[in-house]
Amino acid sequence: MAEAFALKRSVPVRHVFAIYWRSLAAQIRSVFEYPADLWVMASAGATWNLLQFAFLAVLFATVPDVAGWSFHEMLLLSGLLSVAGGANALFADGVWSTGSYVVRGEIDYRITRPAPVVVQVASSHLGLQSFGEILLGLAMFGYGWIGAGLGLAWLPVGALALVCASVIQCALVTALCAVNFWVKGPMSIFAFLMIDLQGQSMRLPLGIFPAAVRIVTLFVVPVAFVNFVPVAVLTGHLSAWWLIGTPLTAAASLALAAGVYRLGLRSYDSSGH
Amino acid sequence: MASVDVALATISFKRKIAYKTTWVFSILFGGWSLLAGLAVWNHLIGDGELGGYDWPAMKAYLIIGFLTGTLAWAGSDWEMANRILDGLVAVDLTKPVDFQRARAAEYMGGMTASVPAAVLGTAAAVLIFQPAPPVSPLAGALTAFSLLFIFPLAFGISYLSILTCFVTQRYLGIQWAKDSMVAFFSGMMVPLALMPGWLQVLSWTMPFVHFTTTPASIYLGRVDTAGALGLIAAEAAWAVGLWAAGRLIWGGLVKKVTIHGG
Repeated sequence: MAEAFALKRSVPVRHVFAIYWRSLAAQIRSVFEYPADLWVMASAGATWNLLQFAFLAVLFATVPDVAGWSFHEMLLLSGLLSVAGGANALFADGVWSTGSYVVRGEIDYRITRPAPVVVQVASSHLGLQSFGEILLGLAMFGYGWIGAGLGLAWLPVGALALVCASVIQCALVTALCAVNFWVKGPMSIFAFLMIDLQGQSMRLPLGIFPAAVRIVTLFVVPVAFVNFVPVAVLTGHLSAWWLIGTPLTAAASLALAAGVYRLGLRSYDSSGH
Repeated sequence: MASVDVALATISFKRKIAYKTTWVFSILFGGWSLLAGLAVWNHLIGDGELGGYDWPAMKAYLIIGFLTGTLAWAGSDWEMANRILDGLVAVDLTKPVDFQRARAAEYMGGMTASVPAAVLGTAAAVLIFQPAPPVSPLAGALTAFSLLFIFPLAFGISYLSILTCFVTQRYLGIQWAKDSMVAFFSGMMVPLALMPGWLQVLSWTMPFVHFTTTPASIYLGRVDTAGALGLIAAEAAWAVGLWAAGRLIWGGLVKKVTIHGG
């Protein structure tokens, strides 16, 4: 086992990326073998975003604002969260299988390959709902952007927000799925809980929630940096200084995901014991 | 009900009840949704009212949604979906037990295991948040009766969702789409009374509405006794309709199963 780890440390970063893209490209090729799968899943991804849009449209037909946030500003919140969720499904959907790989002992042969296990697992599946999710998410984000009166000057911030949101989402989901190395079971229940937390609270202004929720989402499980903080900065609800927290959280989340996965692999003892 | 149905339901019940963490998580998922809903609507309604709901009525509405959501979440969607995704369905086809009936028995058994957690969570929510009481004892009884139909309705909707696994490789995205359909068209995300007329009509043409709007409307007296009985009849009709639709679609999709090896 120790030799396998020593081998992986010597793998160049370029090689790791090559493996990742090759594996992901194989998944993309398989998509074209099952076109019905693609259409059903992309429609599913589009459905929940359309319903989110409908929720906001219905709500804002009744009230002028929610805690000082307008319809278009809340579209930015929803859109960014959808893009982040879609990025997870597109680039690292395989991490959701960590639990079932551990239970079935399917991590075994991945350990023997000359590439990081987390990269192999992450690229072992493509969440086809991501196509609908990212498309509709970007549409909501763009519509909110124009409606909120954000000009071209803010585009670099918007691009940074999109990239960091995707990275934080992928990393936090990976870290929470890696909990299944210790809490055995095919369901990634902790990652589900995080997604539920985001779905319930991160599509709304944090100001309406009690202080405990704000502290948890900003500093404990920093999901607020996925969409709330960058959008609040873009729309002037938070000072621009907060924006520094977004790339920092992205870097910290990546380190956390890699660390938790590595620790998980150390305690992995295959199946059948 | 044959003894095989009872046996399958009992196995599923015991399996669910054995994992205490499932109890905790079913409360956590629904509880978080309830708390978020309370925070949002408290902010929006304040001392006034929206769509005919004042604050005590809205609290009752959200707690009913929590109860039905907790019950519906506890079903065994994933166990059913995995049977198709893993190919176990091929073995099921050789068994002298009807696939849909067997899954229904397991699903009901799993849901029943969540009843204590759902009831305890609801009792705690009622004590803490003090929602409006039912408009009359009869309305309270009819609400409880209408909640019984959540069982066949949740199974019918979940069964139709998992049948898509014959043409997809994963259930995750389908489950999220189904859950958001239930959340939106049941009136859990936003009450139907706030929706434009055409969207209300569209919602009433779907079965999801019976997860929140129907029991809450009966409980709060937004429909009279005749209206309540009509809504319960609609629930029963949907339960039968979804069962028949499941059978029809199964008939077409099962032809897609390819059994490797031999």
